[in-house]
Amino acid sequence: MTANGLEAVFLGNRDVLLRFLRARGGGDAAEDLLQELWLRASSADAGPIAEPLSYLYRIANNLMLDRHRSSVRAQRRDQDWSDSAGGTVPGVSDEPSAERALIARERLREAEAALAALGDRAATVFRRYRIEGVSQRDIAADLGISLSAVEKDLQKAYRAMIDLRRRDDAD
Amino acid sequence: MSRPHANIEEAAIGWIIRMRDPAFAGWDAFTLWLEEDPVHAAIYDELALADADAADVLAETEPVKPEPVAPPPPPRDPIPANDDKPERPRWATRRSMVGWAMAASLLGVASYTSLMPGSSPYAVETLAGQRQSVTLADGSRIDLNGATRLMLDRENPRFARLERGEALFSVVHDARRPFTVETGGATLVDAGTAFNVIRLDGMTEVSVSEGVVIYNPKVEKVTLAAGKVLRALDADGQIRVGNIDAGSVAAWKQGRLIYEGTPLSAVAADLSRNLGFGVTAGRDVAARPFSGVIQIEGDRERVRQRVSAVLGVPVDQAGGGWRLGADAAR
Repeated sequence: MTANGLEAVFLGNRDVLLRFLRARGGGDAAEDLLQELWLRASSADAGPIAEPLSYLYRIANNLMLDRHRSSVRAQRRDQDWSDSAGGTVPGVSDEPSAERALIARERLREAEAALAALGDRAATVFRRYRIEGVSQRDIAADLGISLSAVEKDLQKAYRAMIDLRRRDDAD
Repeated sequence: MSRPHANIEEAAIGWIIRMRDPAFAGWDAFTLWLEEDPVHAAIYDELALADADAADVLAETEPVKPEPVAPPPPPRDPIPANDDKPERPRWATRRSMVGWAMAASLLGVASYTSLMPGSSPYAVETLAGQRQSVTLADGSRIDLNGATRLMLDRENPRFARLERGEALFSVVHDARRPFTVETGGATLVDAGTAFNVIRLDGMTEVSVSEGVVIYNPKVEKVTLAAGKVLRALDADGQIRVGNIDAGSVAAWKQGRLIYEGTPLSAVAADLSRNLGFGVTAGRDVAARPFSGVIQIEGDRERVRQRVSAVLGVPVDQAGGGWRLGADAAR
C-alpha cells in the first residue's frame, strides 16, 4: 500500500471514520480528530499495510485512548495538587524515584499473584495472548484446548488484571 | 464491589480482547456497540486504559533474548498495536522483540537462524476472502490469498515465511542469492520461478508453474519442475509428488477462496463481495466454522451447487441472492 493508496482509502472512508470518532466519544471535536488521525497515519512508516481501513480505525481508536489517558492524568494532577495543598497525602508525581521503583515492584508482584491465582493454564493463555501476541488459534493448538476454553480463560484473566489496575488507581 | 454496569463491562472486555488480535476486523460492529449508549465509550476507555497499564507492568517480567551485537531496528507490525504510544517507546520495542523471539522459537531452529541476525521482520496478513500483493525490493512479487499470514524481512528481500494460508511467489531469479521460502518447518529454494504454496491444517502443498523449486535442499532435496505438485503432511512426514496443470497453479487469483475455521456468516459475506450479489447465512448455520477452499468461477447455478456441496449446507435462492442454511438470516 503506497501513501497515495492509504490516502485514497482515508478519503473514501471519511464518513465511517468520522462516525466512529463521534461514537468513540469525540463529539463536536470529531472533525479535528479526523485531521489528527490522518496526520498520525501519514507520518507513520508502517511498511506494507494489508488492511488499510482497519489500520486507520486502529489509529483512530488509539488516538481516543491517548486522549482519555491525558485527561485522566490531568485530573489526577489536579487531585494531587489539592491533596497536597490540604496538607494530606503528597502527590504521586512528587515521590522520589526510589519510592516509585518500589511501587512498580509492588504492582508487579500483585499482578503476578493475581495471575497465579487464576491457575497455570489461564495465566499462560493470558501471557501468550496479551504479552507475546500469539493468536488464540495458535494458543489453543499449542495447549491442546478448544478455542472457547481460550476465550473463557482470556475473559477471566483480562477481568482480573483490569480489576487489579482499577483498585490500584483508586487507592 | 458492586457493578452497576457489569454487562457493559463484560462486553467492553470482549472488545478489548478481540482488538488485541492484529487481524481484528469488527470495526463496524464496534461502532454500532458504541452508538448504543455513550456510556459504552466511557467504560471501554476506562477498561482499555487499565488493560494497557496492566500489560506494561507485566511486560517487564518477560524474558528477553540477548540482543545481537548490532541491535536491529525494532520489528514493526504493519498494524499499530493497541498501546503503541509515543510516551513509551521502550515498552513498544521490548514487546515487539519478545513477540518476535517467541514466534521464532515456536518455529524451530531453522526459522530462527534465517531471520534473527540483523533481521527486521514484519508481517503481511490478509483476512478471509481478501487478497493482497506485495512487491519486494528485488522486484519479486508475492500474491497472498485470503486468511494468509506471511513474514518478510526488510533486511533480506530474498526471504519469506508462510505461516498459514496460500501465497503465489513470482520470483526474480538471482543465482547468487536464491529466494528462500520457509513453511511448516520445511525450506523451499527457488531456481527462477513462479510457484504457489499452501500451508493449512498441518499440510504443506507446493505447486510450480515456472522454473524449478527445491524442497528442503539440506534434507530430502526434492527438485520440483514446472507442472509438479508436492504435498507434505506433518502427521506422517511423508512427501508425495504429483503432476498438475502448470497453467492452473495460480487458479485462486481467478476465483478461489480459502478459509480456516471461518464462521459461515463471514464466508457468506466474502461470497457476497466476490460474486456481486447478496449471500446471507441463516441463523442455524451462521456460527458453523468452515475450513477449505471454494471455487467461485463459472456459471452461477454450478457455483451454487458447488458451494452447497463444499460447505455441506443447503444454498437456496432468496430475493436476488442466496441463503445458506434452512433458517432466515439474522
